[in-house]
Amino acid sequence: MTETAKPTSPIWCPGCGDFGVMAAIKRALTELKVPAEETVLVGGIGCSGAIHNFMEGYGFHSLHGRLLPTAVGVKLANPKLTVLAIGGDGDGYAIGMGHFVHALKKNAALTYVVMNNETYGLTKGQASPTAPVGFSGNVETPFDATLLAMSIPSSGFVARGFSGAPREAGQLITQAIQFNRERRGFAFVEILSPCVTYNDTYKEWREQVQNVDTVPGYDRTDRTKAIAGCLSTIAAGRIPVGLLFRPSDDRLAPSLDRTLIPTVESAPATAEISLEANRARYEKLLSGLA
Amino acid sequence: MTTTPATDLSTPVPSERLPPSTRRAGPRKDLSVMIGGQGGDGTLTVSDLLGRYFHEQHLYVYTARNVLSRIRGGHADASTRGSVEPVWAQKATQDVLVAFDDEAVRIGQAELDPEGFILGDQGGVSEGPERLYLLPLSLTAASKVGNGLYKNTVAYGALSHLLGFDETKARGVIEGRFGRRGGEALQKNLSAFDLGRTLAREQVGANPLFLLEPGTNTRSILTTGNQAAALGFVVGGGRFFAGYPITPATPIMDHLTRWLPTFGGVVRQAEDELSAINMTIGAAYAGARSMTATSGPGLSLMTEGMGHAGQAEVPVVIVDCQRVGPSTGEPTRHEQSDLLHVVFGSHGEFPRFVLAPGFPADAFELTVEALNLAEKWQLPVFLLLDENLSEYTQSSEPFDLSKVRIDRGKLLSQEALAALPVYKRYLFTDDGISPRSVPGQRGGMGQTTGNEHDEWGHVSVNPENRRRMMAKRLGKMERARGDLPRARIYGEARGQVGFVGYGSTYGPIREAQRLLAGRGISSRFFQARTLWPVPTAEVEEFLATVERAFVVEHNFTGQLALLLRQALPRSSFSSIVQYDGNAFRAPALVKRVTEGRP
Repeated sequence: MTETAKPTSPIWCPGCGDFGVMAAIKRALTELKVPAEETVLVGGIGCSGAIHNFMEGYGFHSLHGRLLPTAVGVKLANPKLTVLAIGGDGDGYAIGMGHFVHALKKNAALTYVVMNNETYGLTKGQASPTAPVGFSGNVETPFDATLLAMSIPSSGFVARGFSGAPREAGQLITQAIQFNRERRGFAFVEILSPCVTYNDTYKEWREQVQNVDTVPGYDRTDRTKAIAGCLSTIAAGRIPVGLLFRPSDDRLAPSLDRTLIPTVESAPATAEISLEANRARYEKLLSGLA
Repeated sequence: MTTTPATDLSTPVPSERLPPSTRRAGPRKDLSVMIGGQGGDGTLTVSDLLGRYFHEQHLYVYTARNVLSRIRGGHADASTRGSVEPVWAQKATQDVLVAFDDEAVRIGQAELDPEGFILGDQGGVSEGPERLYLLPLSLTAASKVGNGLYKNTVAYGALSHLLGFDETKARGVIEGRFGRRGGEALQKNLSAFDLGRTLAREQVGANPLFLLEPGTNTRSILTTGNQAAALGFVVGGGRFFAGYPITPATPIMDHLTRWLPTFGGVVRQAEDELSAINMTIGAAYAGARSMTATSGPGLSLMTEGMGHAGQAEVPVVIVDCQRVGPSTGEPTRHEQSDLLHVVFGSHGEFPRFVLAPGFPADAFELTVEALNLAEKWQLPVFLLLDENLSEYTQSSEPFDLSKVRIDRGKLLSQEALAALPVYKRYLFTDDGISPRSVPGQRGGMGQTTGNEHDEWGHVSVNPENRRRMMAKRLGKMERARGDLPRARIYGEARGQVGFVGYGSTYGPIREAQRLLAGRGISSRFFQARTLWPVPTAEVEEFLATVERAFVVEHNFTGQLALLLRQALPRSSFSSIVQYDGNAFRAPALVKRVTEGRP
C-alpha cells in the first residue's frame, strides 16, 4: 500500500455548521461505497472550500468562484470519477454566480454542495448574496439559489439541507451522488450551515426549516408546482428543505458527459494518445489538407 | 491608357486600349490580386478561390485579409499572392484590384502597382483612375444567375480570363469549393463563372492582360497558423479543449470541434474565459492533455488561471492569438502586444514558458512541443500567435508526423504508483519535478492546490517550506533551458544587418533579407521560438555575428527589445516597431534598416 497524504484537521471554529456538512458528505460516500481514489473533491475559496483537505480522496483547491468550471473539466476528462464541487455561498453565488448558472445549464453529472451561512466568515463577517437585509449593513434583498436553480430548464436535482440535521442532509447528498452515478446530470445541494462566529443562526434555522414533504400538495416532480410550493413556504416564514425538485426520469435534460462521452471507458483522460495507435487516422486527417 | 468609361453590355473595350506596359510584360512570376468591397460582398471567397487556383498551379501562396468586426457591411478587402518563388508575406503592391465599390477603388488604389489594372463592378464603382475596366458584375449576377450575390464568382470568372487561367482548372476550383453544398449552389457558381469569363472576353478583349507563370511547388499545403495549431494539438495527444469565441482565436476551437470527438476528445465552448481556463485546468489535472485558446481580452480574464496552473503545477497549454489591444482594441487587426502579459501577467511568481511559432508548420511543431513541455515540467506553456499567423492562408511545408514525439514526463502509471512506498504530489526532487498521479489511480491521492503547500499538498506557511517550494517551482525556468525550442537562423554566416523577431514577422523579415541580398547587403535573421525564459545565450551568440541588429515587432513599446535589453544589458541593437494594425511590408523594412530610421 502506497502511503498517501492524510486528511488534515479542519480549520473551522468549534461548532461551525461545516462539520455537519462534512459528516453528511462522508456518510453519503461511505453509504454508496465510492472508493476514495475515485472521489474528486473540488473546493472553492472560503472556510467551507477548504473541506477537501479534511477528507480522503483526490482534493483540488480551485480559485475563488471557479470550482464549478474546474469540476466540469475533471468530469468531462474522466466521467468514471465521482466529482463533488464544494464551496460557500460567497464563492458560489457572488464571484462564481456566472459559473453556477452555467453549470446548471451544462448539466454534467457532478454534485455541487454549497454551505450557505449568509456571510463571508474568512474575511470577518461581510454580507454574502444570501444575507438578510440589515445583516452587516446589507441593504440588498437576498436571493434564493434553489429558486434560481429550479428556474434553469436543464436542472434536474435541487435540494436544501440543514447542517443541524446531518442525517437528513446526508440522505440528500447520497441521493445527489447516486443521481450522478446513474449519469442523470448535475445535482445541486445547498446546506444551511451556520457561522457560529459571525452569523449564529442555529436556533432560528432549526425553527424555520420545513421539509417540503410536509407541505400540503407539494409536488417536486413538477417545476411550476415545486417553485410555487417553495414560494408559499417562504411566504409563511419558513425555509423549505429536503429534495425540492426532481422531475421524473423521462423529463430530465440529457447529462453533458453522457452526451459527449457515451461510454466512460474512452474519455479524454483515458484515450489512447500514442502516435503508433493513431497514425493511420492522423495521416488521413493531414492528407485532407493538401 | 486613358480612363475607361463606364461601359454597358454592348460596348466591348477595344484591345488597343490595354496598358502598353501590360502588353509588353511577359508572364508574371509573382502576382497579387486584391479584392475589395463591403463585408458580405464575398471578397474573401474570391480570395480563397484565387488562392486555391494558384496553389493548384504549384505556386507559393500568401493571402491577407482586411475585414471589420461585423458580419456584414463596412469595407472589407482581401489579397491573394501567387509566386514562383517562395513567399511568406503580402506583396508590397497589388497587380490587380477587383473593386465592388468606390471605396474599394479609393483604398486599393494606394497599393496598386503602376502597371496594374482595376476590374470594377459597374453596379458599385462610378469612377476610377486609369486602367479601370468596368464590367457589369452584379448586374450580370442579378439578371442572369438570379442573385446579385454571385457577383463575386462572376468576378472570379472575369479574372480567370484576364489573367489567362486554365479554364478547366479554374472551374475545378469552384467545383472543389461548392461541390459539397450540392446541386444548386454549385450550378449557380459555375454559371456565374462562365458569365464572368464571357463578359471579360467580350468587353475587355480576347487576350489576357497578364499571364501567370506556373510554379513547380508541388509539395506545399495551404493552411493557416490556427489550423496548424489545432492539428498539432490533435496529433500531440491533446484531448480536451475549452474556449470562448474570440477573434482571431475562434478557428482553433472550430477546427477542434470538428476533429477532436473522433479521437475520443472533448471540446467545450465555455461561458467565458474564466471558465475556459479553469475547465482546461480541471481536465489537465484529471489526466487529459488540455489546451485553451484566446486573444488579448480573453487572456486578461484567464490571468488568474495562469498563476493557478503555475502554483498548483498543472500542465496546461494556453494559445494567445494576439490582436490589437488594449481593451477591445481592433479585433481583426494585427499586433504583438501581449508578450509582456504572458511573460509577467498574474500576481505572484511562478514558472512558465512562452513559445512562438513563425509560420504554420512551426505552429504545428511547437503545439506538440508545448504539450510535451507542459506535462514534462508541470506548468503553463503559452503559445504566442498573432493575427496574421492565425488567420492568413498560406503555402506551408506539409506537417511532419515523423517528428512528433509524445513525452508525458513524470506522469505515473498505476503500476509505477503501486511500487512507491510513499506518494507525495509535491515531492522535492533534484529537477524540481514531482511524479504526478491522476484521479482514479490507487495510491495517488492527495491535494493539488493553489495555496502554498508542503510536499503532501497540505496548506503551509512555514518559511523554510516556502523557500524550498519557490526554488522548486521557479527553478524550472533555468533547469528547462536545454529542453526549450531553439531559434532558427536564416541568412548568411555573418550579416551586415541582423534581424530578431518572432511570429509572423518571419514573413516580411525573410522577404526583406531577399531584397537586401539583391542590393548586396548580407543579413541574418534570428527567428526566436522560445521567448520566455529569454534565450539569452542564443541571442548573444547571434548578435556577435551581425554588424547592426534590429529587433522587429508589432507594438508601441518594443516589448521583445525590452526583454532582451534586460537579459543582455551590454548588447547593442535597435528596435523597429509598427503598431498601426498592419503587418510590416518587406520594402519598408529594408528602408528602415538601410536608412537608419528605426
